[in-house]
Amino acid sequence: MKTTAYAKELVKKSQEDLTLERRADGRLWAMKGSEERSVWVRRCFPWSQPARYISLRDNKESEFALVREPGELSDESRAFLEEALVEAGFVLKIVRVLDLDEEVEIRNWQVETEQGPRSFQTRLDDWPRRMPGGGILIRDVAGDLYHVDQPGELDARSRGLLWVFID
Amino acid sequence: MVGQHHNRRDEEIIVRYTDQPQRLPVELRRLIEAVWGGEPVQLYALADLDESLKLSETWVALGPRHLGFARRIDGRWEVDSVERAEIRGVHEAPGLSSTTLTFFGEAGRPSLARVRYTHRQRRAMENIKFVVEEGLAGRAVGSEGADRAYAEAVAGPIREAQALVAGNRMAVIWRLLSYLRPYRGQVVVGMAAAAVITLVSLVPPFLAGYLIDRIVRPVQDGTMSVAEGSAVAWLAVTAMGVVYLLSQAAALVRLRKMSVLGEWVARDLRTELYEQLQKLSLGFYSRNKTGSLITRMSSDTDRLWEFLAFGVVDVSLSLVMLVGLGAVLLSLDWRLGLVMTLPVPVFCWAIYLHGERISRLFLRAWRKWSRVSDVLSDTIPGIRVVKAFNQEEREKRRFGERNLDVTEEFNRIHHHWTLFWPSLMFAVHVTTLAVWVFAVPRLLGGGDGGAPTLSAGTFVSFLLYTTMFIAPIETIGQMARILNRATSSAHRVFEVLDTEPEIVDVPEPVRLEPVRGRVSFENVSFGYDGVRQVVRGVSFDVMPGEMIGLVGPSGGGKTTLVNLIARFYDATGGVIRIDGVDIRELDTGHYRRQVGMVLQDPYLFHGTVLENIRYGNPEASLEDVIEAARAANAHDFICRLAHGYDTLVGERGQTLSGGERQRVSIARAILHDPRILILDEATSSVDTETERKIQEALDWLVAGRTVFAIAHRLSTLRRASRLLVMKDGRLAEAGTHTELLAKPDGVYRKLYHLQSELR
Repeated sequence: MKTTAYAKELVKKSQEDLTLERRADGRLWAMKGSEERSVWVRRCFPWSQPARYISLRDNKESEFALVREPGELSDESRAFLEEALVEAGFVLKIVRVLDLDEEVEIRNWQVETEQGPRSFQTRLDDWPRRMPGGGILIRDVAGDLYHVDQPGELDARSRGLLWVFID
Repeated sequence: MVGQHHNRRDEEIIVRYTDQPQRLPVELRRLIEAVWGGEPVQLYALADLDESLKLSETWVALGPRHLGFARRIDGRWEVDSVERAEIRGVHEAPGLSSTTLTFFGEAGRPSLARVRYTHRQRRAMENIKFVVEEGLAGRAVGSEGADRAYAEAVAGPIREAQALVAGNRMAVIWRLLSYLRPYRGQVVVGMAAAAVITLVSLVPPFLAGYLIDRIVRPVQDGTMSVAEGSAVAWLAVTAMGVVYLLSQAAALVRLRKMSVLGEWVARDLRTELYEQLQKLSLGFYSRNKTGSLITRMSSDTDRLWEFLAFGVVDVSLSLVMLVGLGAVLLSLDWRLGLVMTLPVPVFCWAIYLHGERISRLFLRAWRKWSRVSDVLSDTIPGIRVVKAFNQEEREKRRFGERNLDVTEEFNRIHHHWTLFWPSLMFAVHVTTLAVWVFAVPRLLGGGDGGAPTLSAGTFVSFLLYTTMFIAPIETIGQMARILNRATSSAHRVFEVLDTEPEIVDVPEPVRLEPVRGRVSFENVSFGYDGVRQVVRGVSFDVMPGEMIGLVGPSGGGKTTLVNLIARFYDATGGVIRIDGVDIRELDTGHYRRQVGMVLQDPYLFHGTVLENIRYGNPEASLEDVIEAARAANAHDFICRLAHGYDTLVGERGQTLSGGERQRVSIARAILHDPRILILDEATSSVDTETERKIQEALDWLVAGRTVFAIAHRLSTLRRASRLLVMKDGRLAEAGTHTELLAKPDGVYRKLYHLQSELR
């Protein structure tokens, strides 16, 4: 317990002097003390705690800083962070399932997403994942993610096609 | 040729499965090249997300001196270009399902360009990033063609998942049936027997009707004598007996011929598959999971046996039976025939729909079953962790919940089929009732005393024929499922058969007799995907009998280098020569017999220790086996085993410890007596004492051969005559241990000191 409290204190301290900015070169830069680095963001808990615990990572994949609570950053830094989080958390959101069929070893999906129409494939034994906040997450063979937020609210045909994958 | 074939298949995959173009539009390519003053597009990729993360179409093209970005604005392409000379760096920000790639120039200046794309485009985009970064480091990278690189990158994940573009189903069935050709005589006999069964099964109902109308009734009415009636009746009964006998004899012939024939075809397929698997290169195995290949050899060929032995005959004869029955019923009495035959298509359709419904239910049940298996595959191998953390109750709960879930799902399936089949039978009975409803007035005659228009015998025949409808209806209803299963399995099998080996011998290959062991690399490059190179411009010359230590950081290209020496892959650039002859000119099988390998995780086959030691040299005498085992420090521990050299080693040699397996594999290599020996981390996974024993064995093994030894522990390379230091796919340094230590900023020196500090 002591260790956890100490770690929290360290994180808090490191966060107090952390600032973020989007520079002219288009990259997100993080400054901490005398150090500065161009970073990209990764949510530690993208589904269970999407708004907290954000890891700022440099080009070498090392963690430059961990933002435990974005609210503890300055308003300006938080705005830059949130903008970066939109990019980092991007998944295609399915609003309608148009067709679903099976072929040799793959399942072929045709869907309408918030971002536009899309066809993708999943492996037959790769089942959609149930998400903590509800809904299902489908991962295609290329690694792209498709989120169905509220399967129960889709149109009847989509619900029918998805029925196999929803408890 | 192989490359062109792959590219066509990749383009087919893109067209069939994705919503994006199979290549950069030709007019856009011309436009970009015109903007660049005629310079060619060397690589390209699609950025499929716009700034607001909506799906869109922006092409990124790379030329010798430019990087272009093409967007469609108001139906016209707009091309922006930046000079590659202006680019100072590339920054990649990966997200959950998208990546942002920023090309930036001088520090403090606005970025030169920024694109966003989904993971589907990642490989193609990484190719561009790789080439740009190599350019920044002053290294030029060639590409094997922009179209090919793009198609391979986009289609790759789908091809790896499916491995085949699902083609025309009937073409697959015809190809499958062609395997019956060598057995056509047996097929004809089997089909004829099946036809006999079908035809003779139509006889008993006819005879029953004949007996009633022509014998029983005339005898009862007194228009025929009992003696005459008996004689004809017994003749008819005997005929019926002959028919039944004939029918079952034909059934025996049919079942035996077709099942045996199916086994032969399955054997042919398995043999062809296995021979093909032996021909295929390592690249194929790295793309396909072992489990998937084993399934193709076992359950897929099994399923094809079932289809060829029974499916083909069942389906075709069911069709014949239905048509035949319909014709017989209509000819017996067309009105009753219509009542009986009209609902048949509806029944077939109902069975088809039921099959579809049940498939969906099964899919749901399998999904839930996989959750049960997940718990099992987690907790059985991890039982020590479960117990150590005292989580038995939690695991029981987790399993219990999922077990209940899957049981409910299976019960749902039972609920459906138990409702469907009685309902269908009821519908068939309703049809029979309808036949009765139409038949009764005609059997009894009109109310006005008119004569009956339907004889009792015809009606009995009719009723008996109606019972024969059920089986073919069921088969026809399941035809779609039978064909689906067979074509899926056939696809998986043909995919392996159609894969072209990447390593192919030239028409008249050279046999080096004997191999002396000189290995020369001349500016050798290699990449798995045609763009990103994992070995770049490596040159060295190793004399026969030299021991070369390959060292360097992980991912530096050491293992790829030895795979090239063993000709598991062919170099994509430069030449590898063995005793001065291009390795591609050699007879691969003969050459590989001169190459031995001792790997970090030695693979022992299921069999005895003796068989494993003799694997590369099955004719070796027992004396030689013992000598090799002694030299490998393995003889003593083998003799301590109760069954000595006849001890069975289990799957992957599980009955032996890691060090013991390693020594058996060294004995195997010693007996094999290769001229070129490759040691890939041979001692890295064992304790110090075992390492000492293995090292002693290796010292014996390496004597007099050309040796390439990869080792992380630099101390194990103390006997090496030279060290080659590989870093980022390049030969960073070469020399003796002392020479390399003398280099002030040397990679080897750093590694050596780092390891000394750790000790």
